Amino acid sequence: MSEPHLTLQTASAPPQILVDPAANPKIAVRGLDFFYQTGHRALKDINLSVAERYVTAFIGPSGCGKSTLLRVLNRIYDLYPGQRATGQVLLDGEDILSPRYDVTQLRAKVGMVFQKPTPFPLTIWDNIAFGVNLYEKLSKPDLDARIEWALRKAAIWEEVKDKLKRNGASLSGGQQQRLCIARAIAVKPEVILMDEPCSALDPISTARVEELILELANDYTIVLVTHNMQQAVRTADFTTFMYLGEIIEFGQTEQIFSNPKEQRTQDYVTGRFG
Amino acid sequence: MANSASATASVRSSNAIVRSRLRKNAIIRALSIAATVAGLSLLAWILGDLLFKGFSTLSVSLFTMDTPPPGSAGGLANAIIGSLLITGIGILIATPIGILAGTFLIEYGRGSTLAEVIRFVNDMLVSAPSIIIGLFVYQVIVAPMHHFSAWAGAIALGIIALPIIVRTTQDMLQLVPDALREAAYALGAPKWRVIVVVSYRAAFQGMLTGVLLAIARISGETAPLLFTALSNPGRTTDMSSPMASLPVVIYNFAGSPYADWQNLAWAGALLITFSVLTLNIIARSFAPKTRN
Repeated sequence: MSEPHLTLQTASAPPQILVDPAANPKIAVRGLDFFYQTGHRALKDINLSVAERYVTAFIGPSGCGKSTLLRVLNRIYDLYPGQRATGQVLLDGEDILSPRYDVTQLRAKVGMVFQKPTPFPLTIWDNIAFGVNLYEKLSKPDLDARIEWALRKAAIWEEVKDKLKRNGASLSGGQQQRLCIARAIAVKPEVILMDEPCSALDPISTARVEELILELANDYTIVLVTHNMQQAVRTADFTTFMYLGEIIEFGQTEQIFSNPKEQRTQDYVTGRFG
Repeated sequence: MANSASATASVRSSNAIVRSRLRKNAIIRALSIAATVAGLSLLAWILGDLLFKGFSTLSVSLFTMDTPPPGSAGGLANAIIGSLLITGIGILIATPIGILAGTFLIEYGRGSTLAEVIRFVNDMLVSAPSIIIGLFVYQVIVAPMHHFSAWAGAIALGIIALPIIVRTTQDMLQLVPDALREAAYALGAPKWRVIVVVSYRAAFQGMLTGVLLAIARISGETAPLLFTALSNPGRTTDMSSPMASLPVVIYNFAGSPYADWQNLAWAGALLITFSVLTLNIIARSFAPKTRN
């Protein structure tokens, strides 16, 4: 029943208990419902804990609500009138859905990387500086240092250090995506949301971004939406399987893929549907 | 046997279908080429005629001397200066309003009823006959002030340019992918910063093209100027007095019985046509290349 290629590389080792996300969650979602303009209820009573400095993946078939859930976590859905979320999303214990929670502060803490690379029509340098300048008044040398730091952290410094004045769009797709990751890191967030960050990339670029995700998890809490189950296995510590707007199962990635408790999870991770 | 017979028949019929398709294709192709040739040769004829009749009058004095009384030497300097002033000020009035209105329609009002209504009215304004705009400005500005003025002309041309700029700004901002805006908002950027740094930057070339095309459009307008700036035989930069402009001078001189006036009209027509042509070429070189 279980597909051999889906097992973890560490499958031979005894399952390692990482941490209980619910014990001290970075993000705690409580009774979250989400409605689109049409009244469609896209998320139904979501309860979820995201562990600090781990990678949590959302998987599930198209339209299951995984991207919608991700877009609640930085309130980017706010841009579209008519979309609303009810319930609680606690970031370090504070409800970000509360109108009193300043959305700018939220987005300083919670960065986001999108499906398609979205370099601004600016130079590589300006792309990174854009976010930093929103929060800090740095001198030119400090700003230069910050930009180098972010680009190094996103593993793209060596490739762009001689062309910082070039347009961000001149880079390859994979480089653009790492530039966007650098841009998100540069404002020093605590959480990074990634919405299918590799779906527009070739396999080599994908591998580099995945490596990067693993490395970033040392410093950041990462929430990753992916339709690629291999990617969840390779990068995520915890995996949430969603279906039709509900969380069907949540657990350590290894358990979700090798020993799911729910039949629907089993069917999905073994490729029977989705 | 029967099978192979029907197979042959189907090959034959498919050949017939292919032949008839090829025939239709050839007919449509010939018609399209003929239409293109007809259109282009008309254009070539106009340009050729202009060059032929206008070129002989082209000289330095055209740019240094003012429009003369019949029978004496002169140029078009006053009309050139007037056209530059009236068009320039018209576009200075229209550009900020047009860009801000286009920005409202896409960045703020998208999807709202108000925006939809404005968009509809603006599209109507794009194709409003320019003489009506001239009459309108005559009513609101010239008549109460009791005299024609370059200001009125500039305002009339501004009103003609405005909907064009609104339209192109709107179209170009609409082409900016929402993902790009979201990426900026996701960094915590306030709306005005997203618009100025991201949307405008991404749409800049297209918006500039819109302004250049608007200049090209209004620099040839005659009817609205007849009711507003009128004309002036002398050289002036006083915007509150009547002012000469190339289109109006062409209109007046071309209809006159004097040969030297007619020649000046040809030279003016040549001048204005080629400046519009140049503007269009510049606009084209700025126009955003179609992506992907």
